[in-house]
Amino acid sequence: MSESGIDGERRRFIAFALTPSLIVLFAVAVLPAIYLIVTSLTPFQLTTPGSATDFSEPLRNYGLLPGDPRFVNSLAVQAKLSVASVLFQVLLGMGLALLLNVPSRFVEFARTFFLIPMVLPPIVVAVIWKLIYAPDISPLYYAAQALHVTLPALTSSVDFALTSIVIADTWEWLPFTFLMVLAALQTIPDEYSEAALVDGASKLQIFWYVTLPFITPILVISGMFRLIDSVKAFPLIFLLTGGGPGTLTEVTNYYAYLLAFDTNEIGYSSAVTVVMLLLVCGISLGLVWMGQRKKALA
Amino acid sequence: MMKTASRASSITRRKLLKTSAAGAALAAFPAPLIAQTKPFAGVTLHGASFQHRFFTLLQKYIPEFEEKTGMKVDLQLSALPVYNQQANLELSSGGSAYDFVNVTFTLATRWIAAGLLANLDEFTGDANLTPVEWNPKDFVDGAQVPYRDGKGATYGYSWEGGAMLMGLSRMDLMEKKGLKIPKTFAELAQVCAEINGTDGVNGMVSWFLHNWNLPPYIQGFGGNVFKNPPGDVMPALNTPEAIQGVEFYANLLKSAPKGVLTYTEDQARQSMLTGRSNIFIHSSAWVTPILLSDESKVKDTSRVVRSPAGPVHDYPASNSQGLGIPRNAKNQKAAWEFIKWALSPEISMKLVREHGHSSVCRRSIITSEDYRKLNTVNGQDLGALYLEVLELPGKGENYMAYRTSKEFPIVGDVLNKAFEQVATGQLPAKDAMNAAQDQAIAALRRAGTKL
Repeated sequence: MSESGIDGERRRFIAFALTPSLIVLFAVAVLPAIYLIVTSLTPFQLTTPGSATDFSEPLRNYGLLPGDPRFVNSLAVQAKLSVASVLFQVLLGMGLALLLNVPSRFVEFARTFFLIPMVLPPIVVAVIWKLIYAPDISPLYYAAQALHVTLPALTSSVDFALTSIVIADTWEWLPFTFLMVLAALQTIPDEYSEAALVDGASKLQIFWYVTLPFITPILVISGMFRLIDSVKAFPLIFLLTGGGPGTLTEVTNYYAYLLAFDTNEIGYSSAVTVVMLLLVCGISLGLVWMGQRKKALA
Repeated sequence: MMKTASRASSITRRKLLKTSAAGAALAAFPAPLIAQTKPFAGVTLHGASFQHRFFTLLQKYIPEFEEKTGMKVDLQLSALPVYNQQANLELSSGGSAYDFVNVTFTLATRWIAAGLLANLDEFTGDANLTPVEWNPKDFVDGAQVPYRDGKGATYGYSWEGGAMLMGLSRMDLMEKKGLKIPKTFAELAQVCAEINGTDGVNGMVSWFLHNWNLPPYIQGFGGNVFKNPPGDVMPALNTPEAIQGVEFYANLLKSAPKGVLTYTEDQARQSMLTGRSNIFIHSSAWVTPILLSDESKVKDTSRVVRSPAGPVHDYPASNSQGLGIPRNAKNQKAAWEFIKWALSPEISMKLVREHGHSSVCRRSIITSEDYRKLNTVNGQDLGALYLEVLELPGKGENYMAYRTSKEFPIVGDVLNKAFEQVATGQLPAKDAMNAAQDQAIAALRRAGTKL
């Protein structure tokens, strides 16, 4: 068989092997996305017959978005929530990984223990934090009362509502960055730090000049994953604040949910969702591009 | 003699043969023959509603209904928001998965206007389908208003009524302070402020659905959510009366427990049952447990009364939930048979007598001696209060029309957000309600409402 024949055969085999996965992916991801985009071009309302197929003003929904203060606000809230929670998750996850990167039975147990929040269903996490934040039954408030400290109602406080979501989200997803960084730390050869120690470097210098360069790519990757995932903080917002007080914690996907299921504006809600999808895709592509550029420069 | 005997014997034999043949046939094919005696044998009736005590109790009697009619009832119950979403999608897409549904109060007008429900007058108007004793006029008029269209046709019958009442759990504290039961908004504000903090008790408690709790105050000051619903649905959120109502309710909540803006109904009720909050103004089913529930620690110091009147109007909120038949249901007659049975005077009375379920909507039951006896606690006739409030929107002006307007979900959502901004001090009431008015108009226009 000729070289090109083997290549052709390989290509055909690859195509054959990939086809089932691509069909499934198309059915579960691409088709709903197409439906979403098509719906966003209509004024579809559940109780208005014929509105699902009305394409008379296809860009009307998109034209209305910039003038909708709740949509614009929801983007800002989402940005604040994403930046704060990702920052905390990466920094605390890294700190925890550095602390627990030692061979010890207790540390092994602690590592397993720290994974629990991440494997809990998101709605369970939301219920746990609902109990923690409920002033009349929460141990947090009992403890504060015992210490003569007055805590505000965190989830309905203007100053703390968003912070309360950030705390719950960080608690849930901190183990992810912790695990990623811990795995990276365990791949660093001991020789580098030992050599630096012999050269008289302090622990801080070893961290800054040896450890950090090794784990930076992992920090970026885990941060990127969490940034993309942070738009999915829906259960926490749904159960803890309902987007309030006012619209202080109303992120874009929660607003889209209200539009679709409370007020039945499926078409407009789809447009909101498409914009959010594009933003997430844009951020992902930007981060991938940054990674590639860094690799090329190196 | 012999001949006669022989003939008699022959007839007997023939009869015997016939009887044996019939017996054999019956033994071979029992079901279809028995089925002929049951009008809906072989039918599986699919129904859906949200989880509610009414259905939990009803399920105990459904086997009797199945036995009587031959049909099988498949009743799906889910949480209220989940049910609303499922039913809304199912009915709007013209589906026929459900034979009967709960017509949620706030969705009733939308479903009726969109032609998603069957006209039940066709069933009640047919003597073969509905006996005279069932009497559709026995349902309290105020509870039936949401289930009628502009021409008066009926699309649902109410199984649950909610009448806004005021519960006071710490009359002992009020008496100590020389305070009387508040009858006006001004007295309410005074009582809440004076009780708040006494013995660690909050002046009042409420819960997160502000667009249910707030409108009675707006209306009490003479305002409304819309200009003149259902005919004129131009939002009226920034009128001086609406702003006054918002300010008043936001001030009342200063006497409420921390975090009240996110309180659920259960949290609020618990706060009352344990005597941690003095006043709770909500539907009767949530307020009367301070007198009726075994969990209540304040039975001896509680009162349930009419909620206070505003300076202009006395419009306590009321609502109801109804059973209806989707227009595309496959088994409409069977569904009507079920609705007729579930809301019959007999079942309603059983629920009252055997389970103390008092939120029924049949006037003959609410005014019965049995009902009165069961619902009179410490000399307080709760049934009379319930009926009085439930009837109000059906008499004179239907002041609850704002809530069943199909535009309400959009405006109600905007109102919720605006109120929270005021209650948390983010914006003064005037600014918040001006912004809410603009947003409500923009949202309604976006949704295709012509204003």
